[in-house]
Amino acid sequence: MLSYLANPARFMAFSAWAAPLFLAAAVLAFGVALPWALAFSPADYQQGETVRIMYVHVPAAWWSMGIYAFMGVASFVGLVWRHALADVAARAAAPIGATFAALCLITGSLWGAPTWGTWWEWDGRLTSMLVLFIIYLGYLALWSAIEDEEKAARLAAILCLVGLINLPIIKFSVDWWSTLHQPASIMRSGGSAIHPSMLGPLLTMAAGFLFLFGALLMMNMRAAVFRRRVESARARGDGA
Amino acid sequence: MIEGGWDFVYPAYAVTFGGLAVLAAVVVLRLRHWAKRAQGLKR
Repeated sequence: MLSYLANPARFMAFSAWAAPLFLAAAVLAFGVALPWALAFSPADYQQGETVRIMYVHVPAAWWSMGIYAFMGVASFVGLVWRHALADVAARAAAPIGATFAALCLITGSLWGAPTWGTWWEWDGRLTSMLVLFIIYLGYLALWSAIEDEEKAARLAAILCLVGLINLPIIKFSVDWWSTLHQPASIMRSGGSAIHPSMLGPLLTMAAGFLFLFGALLMMNMRAAVFRRRVESARARGDGA
Repeated sequence: MIEGGWDFVYPAYAVTFGGLAVLAAVVVLRLRHWAKRAQGLKR
């Protein structure tokens, strides 16, 4: 499937109908998850209503890391096989990942204030998440700073691959260091520790985030392909 | 149990869905801009 879509013409034909479909799926998932999270899921016996922040905080955290892993794979493919669409995919994913990372940090802060009594703590989990956000910004800045797109793609891919080391640090930070943040309660050995009445809205919201990422990624990639067509025509002196 | 949780829940949801809506709007507008310019090449 991926090698089939590696052809820009085939990708453009596929994404023309797939992007709106993913967007519709995201709207549907959010439409189900929002009332479920805010009205139909129970309050927590200790955290009260604040537990509802989990339904936006956790998906933002998961996918900000997932998107970075996706960028790592795309960067590797771009570096090794010099596939132009792989570089386009990595660059197109970055602003979405950066937004998700920012939302994770902000909602985490809003959750920490009533539950921990502090908006911020320089512990392993929060700091490594902030580092991920800064890596995203650095990656985007690097792309913008270098005019030669091939050179920019190579350097950004190397930065992205180096930054991958931060993902296991985020994941295991709660096990390695003393932290206010709770340990893993869903993706852990021995199965999920969360009640199904809370797992349902959480996974539905996570699906919404994933569909939205798919839609926005394809749209960003389409914009990049169109932009390259315009710039190639301009370089040939065709106007536009 | 922590009281007054909604004071934090509503801002968290407003920031999340406001942020996602702004992101989606920027992506759609950028796509429309470049698609229109690429369309102009064919004429």
